[in-house]
Amino acid sequence: MAKKEFNAKLYGIIAIILVGAVLAVITFSTFTSRYTAYYEDRVATTYVKTIVETGDGYNAYKNTLLSKDGKFGDFIRKTYLYPAIYEGYYPGGSTDGLKGLNDKSLKGEKTLNDDGSLQGKLINTMYTYYELLLKKYGSWDKYGDIFTEYIKVLKLKRNEIFGDTYFDDEVFFTCLEANVSTYGQKLTGTEDEFDKNTGVQTSFAKKGIYEEKYGEDYKFTYTATDILDNPSVTDDSTSYVPSGAKGPVDIEDIKGSKIITVQVKCNNEVVIDGIDIAVVQIGKTWYVDTVMSDDTSPLYNFYK
Amino acid sequence: MDEPKKKYMKKSEIFTFGIGLFGVALLTGWMPDYTQTYFADFAFKGKGFDAGVISLNISTVFLVAGIIGAVIELVTGFLIDNTRTKLGKAKPWIGFGAIPMAIVAMLVFAAPNTSNQTFAIVWMYFIYSLYTAVGCAVERPAECFGALCSPEPSERSTAISIASFMKSVGQSGGMVVVMVVGLIMKAVMGQQQFKNAEAQGLDLVISTAVCAFGFILFVMIFFINNKERVPYTREKVSLKDAVKVVFTFKNLLMVSLTKLTGFGRGVYGTVSLYIAIYLLGSKDLKLALLLPMGIGTAVGTLLVNFVLKKFSTKQTYILFCIYGASSLAILYFVATGIGFRSELIVPFLILNFFCGLQHGNTNVTPNIMIADCVDEIEYKTGKRQEGLAYAGFGLFAKVASAFTKALGPWLLYTWSGYMASTNANVAYAAQSDSTLNKFLMIYTIIPAIFVILQGVPILFYDMVGEKKEMITKALMERRARAQEQNSGSQADEQGEV
Repeated sequence: MAKKEFNAKLYGIIAIILVGAVLAVITFSTFTSRYTAYYEDRVATTYVKTIVETGDGYNAYKNTLLSKDGKFGDFIRKTYLYPAIYEGYYPGGSTDGLKGLNDKSLKGEKTLNDDGSLQGKLINTMYTYYELLLKKYGSWDKYGDIFTEYIKVLKLKRNEIFGDTYFDDEVFFTCLEANVSTYGQKLTGTEDEFDKNTGVQTSFAKKGIYEEKYGEDYKFTYTATDILDNPSVTDDSTSYVPSGAKGPVDIEDIKGSKIITVQVKCNNEVVIDGIDIAVVQIGKTWYVDTVMSDDTSPLYNFYK
Repeated sequence: MDEPKKKYMKKSEIFTFGIGLFGVALLTGWMPDYTQTYFADFAFKGKGFDAGVISLNISTVFLVAGIIGAVIELVTGFLIDNTRTKLGKAKPWIGFGAIPMAIVAMLVFAAPNTSNQTFAIVWMYFIYSLYTAVGCAVERPAECFGALCSPEPSERSTAISIASFMKSVGQSGGMVVVMVVGLIMKAVMGQQQFKNAEAQGLDLVISTAVCAFGFILFVMIFFINNKERVPYTREKVSLKDAVKVVFTFKNLLMVSLTKLTGFGRGVYGTVSLYIAIYLLGSKDLKLALLLPMGIGTAVGTLLVNFVLKKFSTKQTYILFCIYGASSLAILYFVATGIGFRSELIVPFLILNFFCGLQHGNTNVTPNIMIADCVDEIEYKTGKRQEGLAYAGFGLFAKVASAFTKALGPWLLYTWSGYMASTNANVAYAAQSDSTLNKFLMIYTIIPAIFVILQGVPILFYDMVGEKKEMITKALMERRARAQEQNSGSQADEQGEV
């Protein structure tokens, strides 16, 4: 019997389909196992985890309805920063044609020649104030007040240090994010750091509050202990509507609403027995509803 | 009047050979850098592993994979030369190796969900070494296919130069893929949700899938359309022959040695970030700095093809070396003469483009020379050994790359007198004029010296002109005789039946 010739065309087509299918399966499974927003319990635990691990309520908002229609940073810009930068700006409006403090002509000598030292001084000065704000409010739940007060003081302090009135969103985000990070390091501690290229030591190890309290190898774990439907959103008899960055969410868009109870343990000991986090589903994505989850203070104070 | 040279390849084959190399480069160009980023920043994010231990192991993962790659390089060459199938000797490796390569590449970006640090480290070593091994077994045959696509040297040279151009474009393809994937993810998920997914490295996962799918698609187009047209010789190649081929044939050794003598020409990449920061004024300009050079390289790859029509491979190589060293020297003297000022960025970048042209030569000409060396070796020994010839060149390239990686940081952080910032708020400390001048030398003059040095071995290369023509003719006649004998013996066998 004649031996069948190898069919390269058929093999090529099968290879493309086969590999395409395998790639799709691996990609899909990796995506769903890592992306938190398609699962209500994961969204709630990620929100809690971000706050507990480093006291970072600021970045935790990236899992909330405030981040639904755009970047959380844009929400801050439009609501709190632009009114402080542009004269005559109203929240949600356009900055076109408006004169602002971010005009390059307002940069003085010190701003133009700073190699990062004055910026560092400003960050350190603002850190003291950032800690005061967290102490005053006990959490990030009143984020609007925190942003407003922080921006007001930042403008003043910058003026004092740099000697000019220049102010833009980069000044704000650089300072605030550095402060949030330093606060996190106060909790977690830091390690010796070396310049990776030259080996020069750039900072020294410091013990954090968590290490002092729970030991060097402390480890937090998070469990969604209870998942319940949240009738206050889905029940027609109530009038509660969750709010996002652009105001109340269209009730028609909400596909699900739950209350997730998250328990936090450290080294297998319960440190927060249960905190209720309200989440809503829009499309396939779940978001934390910050209006209903309005008391996260236990997450900032459990170790005190 | 010269007799028109016979064409063996279909026009589409030249293009699909390029498509195949584009596909291979799309994946191999994507993998090393993005794997490093993925391992360091995303694979085990939030698992509480010791960052120092993970970071140290990532460097060693790449070192180990490099050593494995060098060994597999030679083994693959040896296996190719002992492969005799109806599809040819290199093509089966490409066609059948592409499936595991695409899947293993994808698995590199599917880190296990583990809290065990030791397991995570072992997994990184295993999966990336596996990828390197499978990758070598496809990449090397794809490169040596150039020597097999046509017995006619000029047709082969055209195919190799066009394919090399497409390969150099493919190497940067991943950067476009990750950008497009990011834009699509933003549009579908919303900006903040994209940011959240990006923080988990999911844009890299999807981009790898796109690159791997592009790889299999383009490689299969090549596999279906292209044929090996140079008949393989029947003699078995022993391990002793393998080593002999790589190290004892003068012309092949000279081509391979260009990699070693010119190893320092790549140190400019190490200093490019600092050139952007200290001399151009912003680290964001690093891409702007490398982009004109990249475009210059792509244009240079096409330009070489035209130069080769007028000059021999030896002349072309030396010409481009002289040009390359001169352009880098001009860049140095222009930069030191008028100083770096932000308003001079555009002329500086234009000069970078002209400096990039020379790289087209190093991408194309050695590949053509190796194909010629394979002819010479066949002429002398009666054995055709594309696999080993390209593997030997690849081995030298890997050793040279290790030297470059050692020399670059030494020049930058020790020789130049670089001062690291010790102030947490100052990212880059001020540098002395002497250090800044040395940065510029690492970017221009030092590569220029190595560009000249890489041309030195080629002075001893002689597979050109009459010798090349004589060998090509002799091989053609030898193959024609072999074919006649084959068809004669087949006819006898049929007659007996």
